[in-house]
Amino acid sequence: MFAVYLPVFIMLGVATLVAVGMFTATSLAGPKNMTAEKAIPYESGSETTGANHIRMSIKFYLTAILFVVFDIEAVFLYPWAAMFRSLGWVGFVEMLLFIVILGVTLIYAWKKGALEWES
Amino acid sequence: MTTGLLLLTTALKILFILLVTVGAFAPMLVWAERRQSAMMQDRIGPHRAGIRLPAGAADAFRASVLPMRLAAAASGAVGALLLLLLAFAWAADDASWLPVSPLELTATGVGLLVLGGILDVGSKIHGMLADNGGNISLAGLLHPLADALKFIFKEDFVPPKADKLLHSLAPIITLMPAIAVFAVIPFSDVLYLEHWDAVVPRNGVVTGDVTAIPLQVANLNVGVLFLFAIAGTGIIGAAIGGYASDNKYSLIGGIRAASQMVSYEVALGLTIVPCFMIYDSLRLEAMATWQHDNGVWGICVLPITIAFVLFFTAAIGETKRIPFDLPEGESELVGGYLTEYSGMKFGMFFMSEFIEVVGLAAVATVIFFGGWDLPFVYRDGIDFPGVWDAQLASFVMGVEYNGAVEGIDATGIALAHWGVLALGVVGFLAKIVALIWFQLLTRWSLPRFRYDQMMQLCWKGLLPAALGNILFTGVVVLLGEGAMQMAVWSGTFVVVGSIVFFFLPALKRDPRVPAGAQPAAS
Amino acid sequence: MSTAGFLLFLVSAVLAIVGAVITVASMRPLRAAMGLLLHVVALSALYLTLNAHLLAVLQLLIYAGAVVVLFVFVILLLGPAGEFAGDSEKLIGRVMGGCSAGAVLLLTAFSLSRHDAEFGPVGADYGTVEGLGNALYRGAMAPFEMVSITLLVAVVGAVAISRVRTAREKASDAADAEARKLANAGGSN
Repeated sequence: MFAVYLPVFIMLGVATLVAVGMFTATSLAGPKNMTAEKAIPYESGSETTGANHIRMSIKFYLTAILFVVFDIEAVFLYPWAAMFRSLGWVGFVEMLLFIVILGVTLIYAWKKGALEWES
Repeated sequence: MTTGLLLLTTALKILFILLVTVGAFAPMLVWAERRQSAMMQDRIGPHRAGIRLPAGAADAFRASVLPMRLAAAASGAVGALLLLLLAFAWAADDASWLPVSPLELTATGVGLLVLGGILDVGSKIHGMLADNGGNISLAGLLHPLADALKFIFKEDFVPPKADKLLHSLAPIITLMPAIAVFAVIPFSDVLYLEHWDAVVPRNGVVTGDVTAIPLQVANLNVGVLFLFAIAGTGIIGAAIGGYASDNKYSLIGGIRAASQMVSYEVALGLTIVPCFMIYDSLRLEAMATWQHDNGVWGICVLPITIAFVLFFTAAIGETKRIPFDLPEGESELVGGYLTEYSGMKFGMFFMSEFIEVVGLAAVATVIFFGGWDLPFVYRDGIDFPGVWDAQLASFVMGVEYNGAVEGIDATGIALAHWGVLALGVVGFLAKIVALIWFQLLTRWSLPRFRYDQMMQLCWKGLLPAALGNILFTGVVVLLGEGAMQMAVWSGTFVVVGSIVFFFLPALKRDPRVPAGAQPAAS
Repeated sequence: MSTAGFLLFLVSAVLAIVGAVITVASMRPLRAAMGLLLHVVALSALYLTLNAHLLAVLQLLIYAGAVVVLFVFVILLLGPAGEFAGDSEKLIGRVMGGCSAGAVLLLTAFSLSRHDAEFGPVGADYGTVEGLGNALYRGAMAPFEMVSITLLVAVVGAVAISRVRTAREKASDAADAEARKLANAGGSN
């Protein structure tokens, strides 16, 4: 296990090092002249009005929930796909049921208008 | 394998990956993209950045052109004369009158010819440098380097009301996974250290006490899942970058980006499940080996052909590139979640996007295009079984052929282990370049989608299609060998057909553009 | 456990605790979510020390890639409204929180000291894709199928909470509102 995962940790470490290195380089090398004009949030030149936070459509939340649900489905599919040949028809029927029920989930969300973005 | 060797090989492999991705492909991509956009808009594009040589260098270069060309001509002439002498000697079948041996004569002649060629190319380069005023510009290839330097020395601007910690964390969280996904991508077959200059058997089975070094950073049991797990964390970078910037554009861009990326991640994950079912593994190196051993690239098996189309669409959505670049749609949101970023922090987002493009091409290469597998290249050398066999070779060449190396066909060219592996790496990189080029073509061909169209394409198009494809694949695999054969034939038919009917016609010149209307410069 | 494994355990355990503390203690919701991300990633490394390869990656995939993203989404949607103003004055809440945390710790320590588990070497396919797949698709078919029902319920709940309307429902809503307005107008006249 050690020999298999050590390179992964080294790779993660190197990736972090590259990212942090670039970050540090630009924070150290760049000049810093903050002015009052510069500090205003950039909104194409017009004065910003109201709070800097705006209300978002609830659709984004719904998308996130659908994402979690189908991500979990995908996670169940991966090990199944990797040993599909050894599971045979039994495994196929098992997954057919699973996919059909999730298909019903998708159809339900579809018919309920959860996938529409017009309004 | 000892720990020292493990550390050494790991360090070398990571260095290779960094050089190829961060060092070569990402800057080249920046250049290619800008160059292509300049071409389409009839501009010259990036070409000015260069290394300025000291004053007088241009004159010195111009002065050196003529002597160099003369030297090249002289060297080439003498070399040709020597080879002519050799030819005479060979024709007369008498080498005794030569002052030196034929071998030395050949070496000198070829050497002089090569020297002449080098001098000639050098004189041309000097001429170009002189015309350029003593600047080394390499057609603008140095432009990305200048960009990077500029990024580093720009003001590192953080909005005063922003959450500084999260604002700084976002580019790091985005760039890190983009680099780390390369850990599981195999760039060639397994290297047997003790056999590096021997010919290994075609089936790759090496007996005895050998050190097998997989040419990928980590050979994980979970394989491609690691890739998804790491890439998934990149979403958070865009979201928190948008939130922490204290700007409406950033916020909208951030949430759009996150929403789009999660949607397309699901589609991406589900589209390649059929590949796992056919390759019977989650390990990327096992997928490449399957394609090599079965002699067919994945794209030519019908379920995987379908999967490739879906996967590529989803992957472009996942990398937020045109036509799916809604989060940064500059006509609506300025720069989206990048609006309040400057300097190298902006550059890090930019860079991670380009590294993702390379990573995506690498993954697609391994899963759909055989990875390091090249046609007619086997583990023991280059061979053309069934096409160029001993009988045909004897007929054409008029020479009797018999087995040269055990395992390889009589007419094959045996290659040492390292040569085969190097060919694999070259093939792998070439396929990546081809796929990147295909992505650039897509980018410049399609207009941007509307947000609702993009989300519906994902949830109502790609997702159900991917689920259907999984079930279709299940039936094909379970029906046995015959169905698989059918799938291979029909998949090949589809691939060849789409190349002939869609791709080749697209390469023709647009009849609306007259031939003379090419931009004169660049 | 090898030295390297112990080292990994030590680092990831400390990081998990740090992440958990940030999650609970941070006043800004998004920073708390980042603490949770750190905790989840460290937890996945802890699974690795137990040889659970697949579980470690699934932990990253589901928790770091999906659940934390969902939290970040909600925080983005709520905005500053979700910022915790901080009512650190309430002493009783702190005392109660501290007491329950202490009680959980004590109980865990007690039950661990009573329980004498055997920790032995595990099989070759323990925690791998094949090992877990066999256990799941051969040994636990019915629970596996039920997961899909649970996911269906989750989507039904989300749709209900977010009150999305189909075009027809919207039209009927508008008609209702119109009728009510007419009725009100008639009543006042």
